[in-house]
Amino acid sequence: MTPVLQTRGLTRRYGRTTAVAGVDLDVAQGEIFGLVGPNGAGKTTTLRMLATLLVPSDGDARILGHSVRREPDTVRRLIGYMPDTFGVYDDMRVWEYLDFFARCHGIPAARRKRLVGDLLELVDLSHKRDDYVEALSRGMQQRLCLAHALVHEPPLLLLDEPASGLDPRARVELRELLRELRSMGKTIVISSHILPELEELCTAVAIIDHGRLLASGRVDEIQGRFRRGTVARASVLGDAEALAAAARWFAVQPEATGVEILPDGRLELALRGDDASAAALLARAVGAGIRVAAFAPAASDLEELFLQITEAAAPGPREEAVA
Amino acid sequence: MSTTPTPMAAPQPTSGEGPRPGRALRAFGIGIGAVGSKELRGRMRGRRAFAILTIYLLLLSAFAFGIYAYLRQQATLEAEGLFRDGAINGVAEMALSADIGHAIFSGLLLVLTLMVLVLAPAFTTGAISLEREKQTIDLLVTTPLSTLGMVIGKLLSALTYVFLLILASVPLMAIVFVFGGVGPEDLLRAYVVLFATAFGMGAIGLFISALTRRTQTATVVTLIVVLAITIGSAAVHELWTVLGTQSAKTQSGFIPVQRSDRAPVAILWLNPFVGDMDLICTTAPGGYDRDTCDYVAAVTGTPFFSTPRTNECPDGAPCAQPAFADDVVGGFVKAVAKEAVVAPGFPGALGDEPVADDVPAQQALPSFGFPRDTFWPQSVMAFVVVGIVLTLLSAQLVAPTRRFRLRRGTVPDGATWGTQAAVTASDAHPSLSGDLPRVPADAPLPTEEVTP
Repeated sequence: MTPVLQTRGLTRRYGRTTAVAGVDLDVAQGEIFGLVGPNGAGKTTTLRMLATLLVPSDGDARILGHSVRREPDTVRRLIGYMPDTFGVYDDMRVWEYLDFFARCHGIPAARRKRLVGDLLELVDLSHKRDDYVEALSRGMQQRLCLAHALVHEPPLLLLDEPASGLDPRARVELRELLRELRSMGKTIVISSHILPELEELCTAVAIIDHGRLLASGRVDEIQGRFRRGTVARASVLGDAEALAAAARWFAVQPEATGVEILPDGRLELALRGDDASAAALLARAVGAGIRVAAFAPAASDLEELFLQITEAAAPGPREEAVA
Repeated sequence: MSTTPTPMAAPQPTSGEGPRPGRALRAFGIGIGAVGSKELRGRMRGRRAFAILTIYLLLLSAFAFGIYAYLRQQATLEAEGLFRDGAINGVAEMALSADIGHAIFSGLLLVLTLMVLVLAPAFTTGAISLEREKQTIDLLVTTPLSTLGMVIGKLLSALTYVFLLILASVPLMAIVFVFGGVGPEDLLRAYVVLFATAFGMGAIGLFISALTRRTQTATVVTLIVVLAITIGSAAVHELWTVLGTQSAKTQSGFIPVQRSDRAPVAILWLNPFVGDMDLICTTAPGGYDRDTCDYVAAVTGTPFFSTPRTNECPDGAPCAQPAFADDVVGGFVKAVAKEAVVAPGFPGALGDEPVADDVPAQQALPSFGFPRDTFWPQSVMAFVVVGIVLTLLSAQLVAPTRRFRLRRGTVPDGATWGTQAAVTASDAHPSLSGDLPRVPADAPLPTEEVTP
């Protein structure tokens, strides 16, 4: 596991407010690393520091061993950056756009033509080659911007909210594209506040809130460390009386910390323990004669985890959560 | 992966890119080339650029013809008058031809200066703020381009079009040779002034663009600055001079008796019209172009020789002393003393060009002379220096990480990063340990369909 990206004590202050407070990250080669946090958590600031657009107030980040503070020029050759909001030049065609950035990276004219063709093929924009960039749809501009970040074959991609503003289909396409890039050996750091989108994609995540790193690591690793319980939803066959009886039965079980009957006639159970204890509870419920038709976690794992971690961190000192 | 620091690779060698100065120079060159050509392509795209050029040349031609037609009419009237008075009209015609040439030269020079004053900053004032507004600047800055190269590329592409417009006027300007009165070297001087003005004004627009976040602000600020250094500077200079002059009432009215402090010429260096007037004055076929020469003399403190009329000082008394010590506004110079002509330290002694040396020497009159090249070379130098300085500052303003500022914060030392395992790390991933990533010439990217 070669760390492609490392940050140590990465901090950025704007006057008195601290946008990013001492973030330590390690991203290994070939990972798709998700930077998760609510809006304003410091994700964009972190990525902008990694992209050499902001100087850290404190700490440093190294990309393949090169400091973003001391060697921004070298770092710029190693990263492909896609900002969360970006504009496009008017008066420019799609191929000219890519050709321009390839030229900025010093790629000779003879190689640019082929490179632009290959990149347009990769992001599925070959048919838009001669269109004006500003006339492209949002999803297409997003893909074009991703292609622009690839012109110099960077080993590390920094993508800031790449899926924001995309329709579900474009999102699926983007996910496919990122997997494709990962299979090409790229390391990808991707930020998002939409958790389900990252859950399927990321090999590791870092959860950030108020500029602090709350947790980082593989999704299941974090789950193991932070899981205090899950929320499950159960559908019970039978009339309202049977439902009430089932609710009373669940309420006295040791695994359940809370039971609620939802308006749609399902039960919401707050459970403690891991999946094994949930399975045991389900087995006992069936054994007790409750006709359970469905029993499943209420929210996606990551979303729930995220809520738990940020809630846990909110009142007390955050260092505990990080440790 | 956990959050605890793990050993990491040492900095990968960057041998493939050559020595640092070479790399920086390359990034600079690429910046000029890539950004310049992109901007120029955008500017020249479509018919707009050529339509503007055509309309501009038509207007300029119409203006030149207007001057010609007007002066021709004047000349005809004057010739008729002279003929009626029994004068030899041929002499008058000859002089009038040179007058027409000079008038066309002056008129075109002033119009071209106005064009440069308006267009050069207008083309650069959006150069950087527009990138900020459209949020394209981040994409540009994260490329390895040098910001100086980028900024110069933008300035050059904007100036190329202005230079094109200036050069397109050369054939029209050359019409003055048909009438005479202005020589090729005068035209050359005029174009040097125009190009320097375009560069300086373009750099001013660029700098303001780099300074502001919004193009609208940049446009307004640029407009104010351009007005300030043209009209404003003239007004300040005038006011300063007036405040520094003491007048005394005599029989013939108020005359300046003492000048405690002349306003510095430097105020007007960035006013291209003063440079123009310097050129217009010194090319006047009549020997002394009253209005412009008076003004230039007042500004630069350089006395010009007018046709001496009397040997009297303005207050009517015979003059014992030369009238144009530096306490007299040039426009007031009526009497000229011989000693002053040869006086050393004469401000415009360099390049003196006597144009009327056929004046009989035995007369108690000085030889007529025009101190040439006194003001406009200073103006040109000022524009070039201001242009260079502002371009360098703009590059600093665009760079996100290299602004002049005190280094803040602490950088983690080597131990924190764990450089110990550098060897193992690069052994494990030899593909990453060598050169910087490059696109192999014969290795195309995967081209399978990525969307279902």
